[in-house]
Amino acid sequence: MKPTRLNAIAAALLLATLQSASVIAAPKVDFAREIRPILSNHCFSCHGPDEQKRKAKLRLDDKTGLYAAREAGLRVVVPNEPLKSELFKRITHTDKDEVMPPPAHAKPLSAAQVALMKRWIEEGAEYQTHWAFVVPSKSALPKIGNSKWARNGLDPFIAAKLEDRKLSNAAEADKQTLIRRVTLDLTGLPPTPVEVEAFLADKSADAYEKLVDRLLQSPRYGEHMARFWLDLARYGDTHGLHLDNERSMWPYRDWVVQAFNKNLPYDQFTTWQLAGDLFPNATQDQQVASGFNRCNVTTSEGGSINEEYVFRYAVDRTDTTVAVWMGLTAGCAVCHDHKFDPISQKEFYQLYAFFHSAADPAMDGNILLTPPVLKLATPDQKKQLDDLEKQIAEARQKIASEIAKITYVEPVVAPDAKPEPVERVWVDDEFPAGAQAAVNGGTHALKFTEAVGAVKPAGGKKMIQRTDAAVAQDFFTSSTQPLIVGANDHLFAHVYIDPANPPKAVMLQYHIGGWNHRANWGDADAIAYGQKGTTQKVQMGPLPKAGEWVRLEIPVGKLALAVGTKIDGMAFTQSGGNVFWDKAGITTITNPLEDPTRSLAAWEKQNKNTKELPQPVKDALKVEAAKRTPDQQKTVLHHYLETAHAGAQPVLAPHRQQTKSLQDKRDVVDKASPSTFIMADLPQRREAHVMIRGQYNKPGDKVAPAVPAIFTQLANTNNPSRLDLAKWIVDPKHPLTARVAVNRYWQQFFGTGLVKTGADFGSQGEPPTHPELLDWLAMTFVESGWDMKQFVKLLVTSATYRQESRVTPALLAADPENRFYARGPRFRLDGEVLRDNALFVSGLIVEKLGGRGVRPYQPENIWEPVGFESSNTRNYVQDKGEGLYRRSLYTFIKRTAPPPFMSTFDGPNREQTCARRERSNTPLQALQLLNDIQHIEAARNLAQRLITEGGAKPEERLDFGFRIVTSRRPTVAEQGILKTSLDKHLARFQQNKPAAEQLIKYGESLAKAGLDPVELAAYTMVANLLLNLDETLTKN
Amino acid sequence: MNPLQEFALNQSRRQFFAGAGLSLGSLALATMPGALKAAPLAARNYGSTVHPSLPELPHFPAKAKRLIYLHMNGAPSQIDLWDYKPTLKNYFDKELPASIRMGQRLTTMTSGQQRFPVAPSKFNFAQHGNSGTWVSELLPNTAKNADDISLIRSVHTNAINHDPACTFVMTGTEVPGKASLGSWLSYGLGSINSDLPSFVVLTPFVPNPSQALFTRMWSSGFLSSKHSGVMLRDKGDPVLYIKNPPGVDSTTRRTMLDGLNQLNELNLQRLGDPETQARIAQYEMAFRMQTSVPELVDLSKESAATLEMYGTDVKTPGSFTYCALLARRMAERGVRAVQINLRGWDQHGNLPADITRQCKATDQAIHALLEDLKRLGLFEDTLVVWGGEFGRTVYSQGTLTAANYGRDHHPRNFCMFMAGGGIKGGYVHGETDEFSYNIVKDPVHLNDLNATILHCMGVDHSRFSYKFQGLDQRLTGVEEHSPIKALLA
Repeated sequence: MKPTRLNAIAAALLLATLQSASVIAAPKVDFAREIRPILSNHCFSCHGPDEQKRKAKLRLDDKTGLYAAREAGLRVVVPNEPLKSELFKRITHTDKDEVMPPPAHAKPLSAAQVALMKRWIEEGAEYQTHWAFVVPSKSALPKIGNSKWARNGLDPFIAAKLEDRKLSNAAEADKQTLIRRVTLDLTGLPPTPVEVEAFLADKSADAYEKLVDRLLQSPRYGEHMARFWLDLARYGDTHGLHLDNERSMWPYRDWVVQAFNKNLPYDQFTTWQLAGDLFPNATQDQQVASGFNRCNVTTSEGGSINEEYVFRYAVDRTDTTVAVWMGLTAGCAVCHDHKFDPISQKEFYQLYAFFHSAADPAMDGNILLTPPVLKLATPDQKKQLDDLEKQIAEARQKIASEIAKITYVEPVVAPDAKPEPVERVWVDDEFPAGAQAAVNGGTHALKFTEAVGAVKPAGGKKMIQRTDAAVAQDFFTSSTQPLIVGANDHLFAHVYIDPANPPKAVMLQYHIGGWNHRANWGDADAIAYGQKGTTQKVQMGPLPKAGEWVRLEIPVGKLALAVGTKIDGMAFTQSGGNVFWDKAGITTITNPLEDPTRSLAAWEKQNKNTKELPQPVKDALKVEAAKRTPDQQKTVLHHYLETAHAGAQPVLAPHRQQTKSLQDKRDVVDKASPSTFIMADLPQRREAHVMIRGQYNKPGDKVAPAVPAIFTQLANTNNPSRLDLAKWIVDPKHPLTARVAVNRYWQQFFGTGLVKTGADFGSQGEPPTHPELLDWLAMTFVESGWDMKQFVKLLVTSATYRQESRVTPALLAADPENRFYARGPRFRLDGEVLRDNALFVSGLIVEKLGGRGVRPYQPENIWEPVGFESSNTRNYVQDKGEGLYRRSLYTFIKRTAPPPFMSTFDGPNREQTCARRERSNTPLQALQLLNDIQHIEAARNLAQRLITEGGAKPEERLDFGFRIVTSRRPTVAEQGILKTSLDKHLARFQQNKPAAEQLIKYGESLAKAGLDPVELAAYTMVANLLLNLDETLTKN
Repeated sequence: MNPLQEFALNQSRRQFFAGAGLSLGSLALATMPGALKAAPLAARNYGSTVHPSLPELPHFPAKAKRLIYLHMNGAPSQIDLWDYKPTLKNYFDKELPASIRMGQRLTTMTSGQQRFPVAPSKFNFAQHGNSGTWVSELLPNTAKNADDISLIRSVHTNAINHDPACTFVMTGTEVPGKASLGSWLSYGLGSINSDLPSFVVLTPFVPNPSQALFTRMWSSGFLSSKHSGVMLRDKGDPVLYIKNPPGVDSTTRRTMLDGLNQLNELNLQRLGDPETQARIAQYEMAFRMQTSVPELVDLSKESAATLEMYGTDVKTPGSFTYCALLARRMAERGVRAVQINLRGWDQHGNLPADITRQCKATDQAIHALLEDLKRLGLFEDTLVVWGGEFGRTVYSQGTLTAANYGRDHHPRNFCMFMAGGGIKGGYVHGETDEFSYNIVKDPVHLNDLNATILHCMGVDHSRFSYKFQGLDQRLTGVEEHSPIKALLA
């Protein structure tokens, strides 16, 4: 080398590094693992794949760019010639305007990095594609010194690396540790003492393999494995945005459990979830699985712009699919070309085009079942539904025959006739058609009741009754038969106030677009709604007389209601008390010709554009009356007579009521039979465009569905579907799918993936610690037919997995994060496992597969402080009985306020896909495990087991308890500490028996009868200790 | 920080525990906080070894050591509070000129409106302090602090609806999943107090919340969950699970923990896992919090004058006034970030009455908080931020009368104020047009504001990142943003 041509400092710097490098004969520099990461981290943001941001037309992320000719006869890189390479000149330049990376970029290269670049060029500057985009190949098992140690194919790879680093493997963990580790890892629950004893007693050579096989057959396996997948799928039980109302998605969750238990091969597991709906004759399971792409958060926030959310949902689905199966961060390319990975913005939108035609609406409607959904009735429910449908049809037939008897004549009125007042009853026995009813502030549901004692309905058969202590109201909006206000009309309603329990005030409210018209009787301040002195709150008079029906009348002028105003909702409000409401409506003074309840022509005029009418009626109304076919005429007339004509109502009312009650029954059954969100595409595909700067309202070039150029292209390029995409993803030749999957399993069992950044296999991710092993595992997985159970078995039966986890300070220093596996995995259990473990060892657990999310103990005010008043997940109503003790997988997840056992222990809130949980260690976790009612209740139930099953002597009981939670016997020292603790607690509770009584009553389950409260309380504290042992909280 | 650095840091955090006398057994641990308690409350600073700052932080000497963020959730109307527009009265009920509206996007709540009638504020404004800052009559007390604050009239955001906008204001992006401001501060600057969490969130009670809050506004996102905001609750336990179960007093708990520590010690000796060491320390911190948290919410030592200054409902847990006093008590005790989220500002209709109610509930307490911080010498190094997630439209949503109107969401400009550590007093920044509809001078993007907050806390936002999903994630996002120099003292 010729240092004279370089600046002195740089030369000295280089010399120093080069000298040290020359001492050790280092292996050849590996471009993919050593050079590319430097270029990626320091250079790509200006000289990478992003065409917009690319400076000086220089591109360092592909081969052409790297060897390209530059001005003045220079090339970017000249193999073997660092000093002729522009790249090297620039990174060693002394001029701050010339040196790269520019100082302003704040990412300077270290001397070691510069030296590495130099060596790489000297060695020939070989270029390789980023490792993750090259199809994996299966290398031969490395030869290792300690070949006896290896138990299967993965071990030699681990041993070889250990030998490289002068480390050696640890001894196999003892059997107690092993059974606990693998049982927790495969089922999420610990082994019982009986299972431990049986395993210890089994001296056969394959005792461990038999154990693993048993665990893989347990239904608990699927429940446990599903948890990890649900983090990826961003599964939740609410919509996630704004109101965050409940959604019915849990059949998808249960499908995931079943898929793991049935060992559905990973390729099918994938295609069903990405495109189950597109299979010819898709099975129910395939459709349910397609719910994966419906798990994203959705909104129905007032004011939202539809196009924006259609765009966002498609981005989320694209991003999630790419992250989950390909381990890439496509989201970067939403706004611009990816800065580090070969995904251009256009390519992102080509992937997005696969998801852009999803049939779900932009606004979820805040409803439980945002279409498209699939109904999953049980055979019994199906029969009930069929029967009820039949009865409804019969009832409707009766209505039809009654209508047929009516001869309708359009009213005729002389032009100069005086209009007559007509009473139009709107609310009687039920809310009017289309009404969406709800309750505010009440402690019970809407109640239409028949006579209560001496109080009989003011009209019809039923009346509304509400009994409450505070302000409460029954209301509805969206009636499809609105009241139309005429000049000089009167609104009216009937109220009966219970003299024994009168309210402070009663109020009628009318919905006209919003709630801005109210009439109040009684205390003007008792009901806070509306500003006094405006139409928002008109004071009408004192509280109506109690003990009799009083007709409340409001001249429309008092509420400043203009002629023609449409009222589509009403609220019956009271400030406490026991109040009956009945028969409400309007007295209208109108010409019968203009009254839709008397004139078909008037009704037609009113309903020309009503969206909620049945389709045939709407179709008929579009045709001019004179031009309708006889069928159309009949359709319109029948609908009119049935729903609106005042004259027909007395005859039809009983039949309508019968139909209604049957329909209600059907709805109850219907509601009880689950449905689940599924994926479907619109019949007509939406056009997809590149969205400029990722803005939903700035479409650029039109794009068609396709996959990025770096990969092998789709088999079918003619208008490919999501199913084509899914099949492409699971093509055995796909460079990423299998690697990403096996890496995730590795992470699950060993704590960290071979690629630590399991969600980023791109340039900016960390390269694998054991690249050959990763590829060997990926190929093995594919060759097995993507057999998940077999793969899991491969991992947990390896010698690597079976090592003991003890660590010495020297080893800790050499490999702090255990990335080279000179010891077995040891880390804190996940939040769900901690809770399930406590339920299990205490005997409280209720093991039952599947179903709607349950609501176990939760401190007050988790949901309430964040919830909307009108959200149906605002108030947390805790379950009673078995709902308290189900496995955590089944806990209802409200995404804007997830349960503390998740959020405190690094559980994601399921708003977006999560490939890896952090594993923190905080005082809040300690507080929860110490004091949470479910952990105290578990401690007391565990204490009961100690006393009743453990033996007579304290030592036996403590020994038993210790074995339950750790699977091993305590040492003498441990036994002594427990005994001391127990004795102290006994002495204290002896002195304070009421405290003992209090402690053992905590929780819904009853303390076992016949036990001494003092003793039980003392053992409860010891059990609380046992459940908080580091060893209990950790997979050892 | 890269993962290796983080690991090293965790190691040093753990070594502290080892050094703190674990080998002396649990008794020594139990007495550990004594040393900290002896120091005067406000004197404690970065020194905490329990949860130290990142080694490279602060990037430069911090003017503010702690943050109190008063988030007015729902978006208060800038036109009725801070952005004085005297000529608007000439336009009462007149159509908002198209030259002003410029076809900008509206929410679908008003985009269908036939008219966009201008609704001048019905409230009077006056100039206050030496600075002569214009403040609405709705804030008579806060107005007295006109010379303490920097008022920014030109804040703007990307989002037009609450959910994305709330996510944006607190995490710097509209997409859920990122880390919140307080979490960033906890992560970067660590905790000053070893007995309390470093980031605390308060959500005062509102009678009929028509808006939601989202835990993601104080979530740690991709950062470790130990940096998540801890909610100090007004119902039930002030901190989740802080109370021992019925029948268990502190002595019984101590007995249990002594046994637990001894057994965990043995386990540590057996397996050598540093996590075990950390766990022992966390259980001890939990035990100390069982004392420090009740002490925090115990107002019995506050003077009558102080209580009176905050307002009549100061002792009502869950009132904004109560939360304001707790914020000061936490500032005093070195909680790094306090965030109060007050709902009730989303006034689409009936604005005059509703905004009056909201101001009555907050005005006196905010003034008291600023004065109280001054009294205790905490004002100089405590940063106070006030503001919502966007602004409101000059045109009325729904019916406009002289006495009543409503306003829709307006992301294009709104007002926030900052005060205390590192911030100029008596300064007004930015300007909007005659209609408070467009910014005409010195726009401040929310992420400029976040960069300014970090700057006051001694952090260069562009160098403060965390690697996640292949990106150096920043609170201030990937676009160019910078602190607003003009606001800095």
